[in-house]
Amino acid sequence: MLRFIAKRLLWMVPSLIVVSFLAFVLIQLPPGDYVTTFIATLAASNEVVDQTTAADLRARFGLDQPMIIQYLKWISGILLRGDFGLSFEWQQPVSNLIWERMALTLVLTFSTLLATWGIALPVGVFSAVKKYSIGDYVVTFFSFLGLAIPSFLLALVLMYIAAVEFGQEVGGLFSEAYVNAPWSFGKILDLLHHLWIPVIILAASGTASLIRVMRANMLDELNKPYVTTARAKGLSEFHLLVKYPLRLALNPFISTISWLLPNLVSGSIIVAIVLSLPTAGPLLLQSLMSQDMYLAGAFVLLICALTLVGSLISDILLALVDPRIRLE
Amino acid sequence: MSEDIQQRTTHCRRLDRRAVLKGFAGATALSALPYAARAEGAKEAPALAKLAADGKLAPLADRISANPMVVTVEKVGRYGGALRRGLRGSADHNGILRMVGNQGLVRWNLAFTEVLPNVADKWEVNADSTEFTFHLRKGMKWSDGHPFTADDIVFAIEDCAKNTELYKSPPTPIVIGGKAGTVTKIDDTTVKFTFAGPYALFLEQMATPLGQHPTLFAKHYCSQFHPKYNPAVADLVKAANLSDWGTLFRNKCGDIEIPTRWGNADKPTLDPWVIKEPYTGGATRVVMERNPYFWQVDTAGNQLPYIDRLNFNISQDVESLMLDVISGRLDIQERHIDTLQNKPTLSQNMQKGGYRLIELINSGSQQVQIYLNLTHKDPKMREMFANKEFRKALSLGMNRSEIIELVYLGQSQPYQAGPRPGHPWYHAALATQFSEFDQPQANAILDKLGYAKKDANGFRLRPDGQKIFFAIDVIPTLYPDEVDALELVKRHWADIGIDIKVNTIERALYYTRGDNNDHDAAVWPGPGGLDPMLDPRDFFAQHTQGSRYAVPWAQWYVSGGKDGQEPPESQKQRMKLFDQARATADLQKRGEIMKQLFDLTADAFETIGICLAVNAFGICKTNLANVPAKYPNSWSWPNPGPALPQQFFFST
Repeated sequence: MLRFIAKRLLWMVPSLIVVSFLAFVLIQLPPGDYVTTFIATLAASNEVVDQTTAADLRARFGLDQPMIIQYLKWISGILLRGDFGLSFEWQQPVSNLIWERMALTLVLTFSTLLATWGIALPVGVFSAVKKYSIGDYVVTFFSFLGLAIPSFLLALVLMYIAAVEFGQEVGGLFSEAYVNAPWSFGKILDLLHHLWIPVIILAASGTASLIRVMRANMLDELNKPYVTTARAKGLSEFHLLVKYPLRLALNPFISTISWLLPNLVSGSIIVAIVLSLPTAGPLLLQSLMSQDMYLAGAFVLLICALTLVGSLISDILLALVDPRIRLE
Repeated sequence: MSEDIQQRTTHCRRLDRRAVLKGFAGATALSALPYAARAEGAKEAPALAKLAADGKLAPLADRISANPMVVTVEKVGRYGGALRRGLRGSADHNGILRMVGNQGLVRWNLAFTEVLPNVADKWEVNADSTEFTFHLRKGMKWSDGHPFTADDIVFAIEDCAKNTELYKSPPTPIVIGGKAGTVTKIDDTTVKFTFAGPYALFLEQMATPLGQHPTLFAKHYCSQFHPKYNPAVADLVKAANLSDWGTLFRNKCGDIEIPTRWGNADKPTLDPWVIKEPYTGGATRVVMERNPYFWQVDTAGNQLPYIDRLNFNISQDVESLMLDVISGRLDIQERHIDTLQNKPTLSQNMQKGGYRLIELINSGSQQVQIYLNLTHKDPKMREMFANKEFRKALSLGMNRSEIIELVYLGQSQPYQAGPRPGHPWYHAALATQFSEFDQPQANAILDKLGYAKKDANGFRLRPDGQKIFFAIDVIPTLYPDEVDALELVKRHWADIGIDIKVNTIERALYYTRGDNNDHDAAVWPGPGGLDPMLDPRDFFAQHTQGSRYAVPWAQWYVSGGKDGQEPPESQKQRMKLFDQARATADLQKRGEIMKQLFDLTADAFETIGICLAVNAFGICKTNLANVPAKYPNSWSWPNPGPALPQQFFFST
């Protein structure tokens, strides 16, 4: 087990280096650079950048140098000093910008995860055990509906209804008074008050698909001879379900952990943008659109690292939960 | 709000008469005083008055100048309230600049025709427009209470703008003839700008956002990041983990249009509101609070601004701004919502959202200027395009009202070029000649020109047997409306036997074709509607990228006759006239010179226009008072700044 973990960790180093290079190249691929995008964005609001200022900016950010030099400068800063550089646009250290947003992103992602699992597990089991009952049909209907509606659309519709019909404040995670207030009990209450809308929207499609997966897995297990045997031996129905088939049906849930971690950063971008959530997703998209190299690069690197760590964790967990799985 | 600053004496008289006639509560109280319009007579916001009474803030008289700038307001307002406005999450720092950062030495009047005193109380220009002496306001303060003097301006220009480590080359507004001007301090409240050559447009340049350098950097604060004043600046740079002092300086003191201008709450400014919660990466809102040292008062002597606080909410998705508007959660907004497609929705929901629409006058002149390439590389094409009668026929062959109705929802009028209606330099012939729809006349002209023969499809043939055909370049991603307009033009011109191709191409290709003089024709919005001096590209071949009807002539002009092609006599005269106008400080005289220029332009009729550049619109809550019903929409007139948001107030 330990050897396995050590090997996997070692492999991460070369993959991260390759990925960082690829990410850097990909971000640079679109025509133009940060300064061109900056000028074009301003031009869209009829604003003009002084030509000398533009050339000045380009030189200051080193955008006039060959790409490989820019890459080496960036990666050596990270490797030697742990310095991710300054964001072109904000002139703030990239690491501060990212960490500032990570806390709320964590809160949002884990609440969504809890909500998803909390609903999907029991409902999935119920719908498998009561196969073809009215309850099953209702659950199936709603889970297909949840799968079919894109979450950003759900967000837009909810926002429209809340704003236009009820005149309620939508978007964001805090009300006006608490946005920049220090943490307090009131602020936490306020957060909870706002959190449920994005959580419901984000959980909707995830829950729906997990219900389907859970139902299918349970159905596979329920007809197996060991279930019949257990039932014949007089085990109570609840005890039986939880102890054996459910445990086996859990595997897909654990596998989701591997993509859960990168989702912290890149998941739910569109919903977060629509709802103006102060999470990492919108910042990532913004940095990519404005070709803010260092910020975007750091994000991509972070996502890759999280993916690698996430898959390692889920492999280990799977091995722990299901003794049939071997780590070789 | 009308034209602004009155001499003190006339100001008193007017105020008294108005007070008697209209019985304004505030003004009546004042008229009882032997109103001296001194700072002592001024009043201030309740919160500040309380601070001053508690001794936590200097009394008002010490905070504002002895001769504050007096803003003639439509209605004397009341203090209080927070104004809400929306920003986009990225590259929207100019949304803040437009609202608060319009505090240059001088500013524009509401009509965008004249330069008025602002930070500078008055000025003198010498006869050949090479020396500009500005008189500042005595006792004026930065937002931290430190005096604002001539030293600040000298520091900002000589030590900052002209410092090659900070600005590789000096900002264009302070440069003429390739040389940056020099600033010298005469006394504490007087500075003199000296230029190597005549620079009559200097004042106009100083009124635009790019001309704000003189008042941008507070010496007492920013000099600590400048190696000339602080030898230990390297330590600061190191402590901030930055590479050089220039970056540190920009982070702390900003520049005209970079986000960090609004990212430092400690930086003193001259703005009506100062940063409380800064505009930084990942911020969800920006909050600004009143500047207790703001140097402007209304006609009743109340210190401005009226409104306590500005709240800029940052939306990642600009579409959600529409929702905010409809549900009445923005007080004044035009950025990101002013597309023509949004107008019906916003008009419908005025009642529900409790707002009214304000008209934003397009500073451009022409919505779709068609530039036939008069210097085409193919001699046959060149001969055809260069004939004024041919262009006249094309212009008469267009059904402008149909285009306006279908593409611009009726929000415009047939137009050619030149300053907009209502501008003092409006030129009727230039604006409307040949803009009626007269296909028979167009056909008659074309027949007479020798294009009477037609092919099987009814398209006219040139004497050499070639079909009359040309492509018009247009960028669909930038101006989708121009593509729609051109499709209609194509249909109209087919009726008079002229075949065109609407050549939709990518932006970079568009520019390359223009630069190489490879295009048959191109379209672009025609500028110069309100700012003819700042962008005269349609009036003569002035802009090497923008004057697309004769790029080689523009190259000839810009290079002083070295490059490009020699233009015809009419163009040469106009080039001379423009140079003359640019060196003339007197507005009256300048207008006369420009009139001659416009006469020549109208006579040459080089560009074909469709309709007057379409106005945009903004929304404004019904209870927000003193907002003009319409004002220009321009970067040089950074709306709503020159409408003076500091005198907006909430009536309820």
